[in-house]
Formats: sequence, structure tokens, C-alpha cells
Amino acid sequence: MERTQAAEHLEVIRTLMERSALYRRALAPVTMLAGTLGTLASAAGWFLNFETPIVFTSYWLLVGILTASSAFLLIRQQALKQKEAFLTPPTRRVVHAFLPPLLIGCVIGLVLIALEMSQQGSASTNPSEAGKDLTWLPIAWIVLYGCALHSAGFFTPRGLRAFGWLFVLGGCTVFIWWALFRFGSIRPQQTGHVLMGAFFGVLHLAYGVYLSATERKNAA
Amino acid sequence: MNPEPFLQLDRVIHEKGRLAIMSMLAASPELAFTELRDTLSMTDGNLTTHIRTLQEAGYVAVSKSYQNNRPLTTCSLTAAGRKAFSDYVTLLEQIVQQTRGK
Repeated sequence: MERTQAAEHLEVIRTLMERSALYRRALAPVTMLAGTLGTLASAAGWFLNFETPIVFTSYWLLVGILTASSAFLLIRQQALKQKEAFLTPPTRRVVHAFLPPLLIGCVIGLVLIALEMSQQGSASTNPSEAGKDLTWLPIAWIVLYGCALHSAGFFTPRGLRAFGWLFVLGGCTVFIWWALFRFGSIRPQQTGHVLMGAFFGVLHLAYGVYLSATERKNAA
Repeated sequence: MNPEPFLQLDRVIHEKGRLAIMSMLAASPELAFTELRDTLSMTDGNLTTHIRTLQEAGYVAVSKSYQNNRPLTTCSLTAAGRKAFSDYVTLLEQIVQQTRGK
């Protein structure tokens, strides 16, 4: 056996072992679903004036839980259709990569709700808190979600890491802009709904469209 | 060149299709039959034949179960299979090292 042949064999082994460890279920349906829910929730939040910190935070935490549950069901359906186990080792890796940043996001939201509720209970606080600027919260969620995507991207074949970077860099840019200039005439929580819709809605939809085209092309 | 490493290469694993199956299973605790078939672009018959050969050599274990009333066939490496694969890779590395020294 030639040296080059042995080296080629080792290369093939390496490639296949790497491929075996990757999550390969279609990402496009999940991304489109998340994008649709994000966009609709953003529009609903804007028009229904969910502006007090407690309502704004609870509303988006619920939307997040709803989106995660729907994605979970969709992935389970994909596994059933392909006659595969649902929690394959690559799926487990992706879930583990996602969990820490998402957990931090949830904890921040829940602590904020608890603080607001305790402040509302005390007599010294103004009950009308709608004007309180909570723009930092969606920005924190955007950056944390970007970190989650970036981590999960190490176990998926597509450009999920780049998509994660888009959230991280976008979130940081918005944060700098907000810290320096604020957002002028728009009411604070309306800005929050717009940011959530732009990142969790529109960006997901755009990525979903891109994935639909490329996944179909690769499958052909 | 010392021909010994080449002669020691496990013929069961050395075949292209079976090497691919062993490589994938080595990186995962277990894989579904369909996942192997789709990733390696093999036909059901081809994959079944290779897996049977690996099973007879004691390298692969096949388990059949049901998930949501659907049959689910999963494959995994046995301890002997893991050792054989590791030995095979070590021998390949030896071959590469040997000729590189020349």
C-alpha cells in the first residue's frame, strides 16, 4: 500500500467521522417557523401596545417558549418521518450548545419581572412604568441568542456560525447606537418590539429562504 | 520498506464501504440505519450486506426497536469493533510514517 493511499484512507476516515458527528436534519423549516412567529409576535406586540416592563418581558418570554416548543415538535416530526431516533448524539450536542445562553436570557427576563413586581408593590414607586427604557433587554437577548447559534454551529454543516455572528455583531451595534444616541421619538418598548421582530423575525425568515434554496439544491 | 503493517491491515475493515460504516460508527455511540444509508449514499441492500459482514466479524451490533409504532434499526460498534478500528487507523498511520521517513 502506497503512502498516499494510506493518507487518503485516513482523510476519508476523518471526513466521515466528522460528518457522523454533525446535525443534518433540514434547518429551513425550523428557521422559517421561528421567523414567522417572531414577525407576527413583533407586529402583535407593537399594535397591542405591550409596553410596561412586566408585560413586555412576559410576552416575549412566552413567545420564546412557544417558538422553542414548536421547533421541538417540528424536529421530532422530521425524525419520525425519517425513521430515526429523535435525540441522536448530534441533536443532543446542538441542544447542549443552545442551552446555557438561552437559560441566561430566561433568567434575566424572570429576574426583571420579579424586580418590577416587587417595585410595584412598594408605595414609593410610580405605578406607570411604561416609559421605562427596556431596550437593553432585547439587545441582551439578541446577543445571547447569537452566542447560542454560534456554539450550535460547531455541530451543524451549514453557516449557522455566521448567522450567530450576525446576531452578536448586530446586537452589539444596536447597543452602541442605543447607548450613545437612544432612538429618538419612538417609545422605548416599541423599539424593543421592532428589534425583536427584525432579528428574531425577519433575519430568521431571510435565513430560512436561503436555506430552503440551498437545501433543495443539495438534495437534488 | 517493512511490509508488515500492510499485511496486518484488517481485510474486513479495509473494504471501502465497510471502512466508511466503521468510521461513522466510531464517531457516534449509535446511528440509525437510514442515517448511515443517506450519509453514505448506499442502497438498502448494499448497506445490509456490509453490516452483515461486520456483524459476523463481531465488529457491529444491530438493534431493532420501535419508536412511535415505527420500526427503528440502529447500529453501533462493539468493543471488538472499536479496537479493530483503532488498530486499523494506527497501522495506516504507521504506513504513512514509514514512507515519510524515506
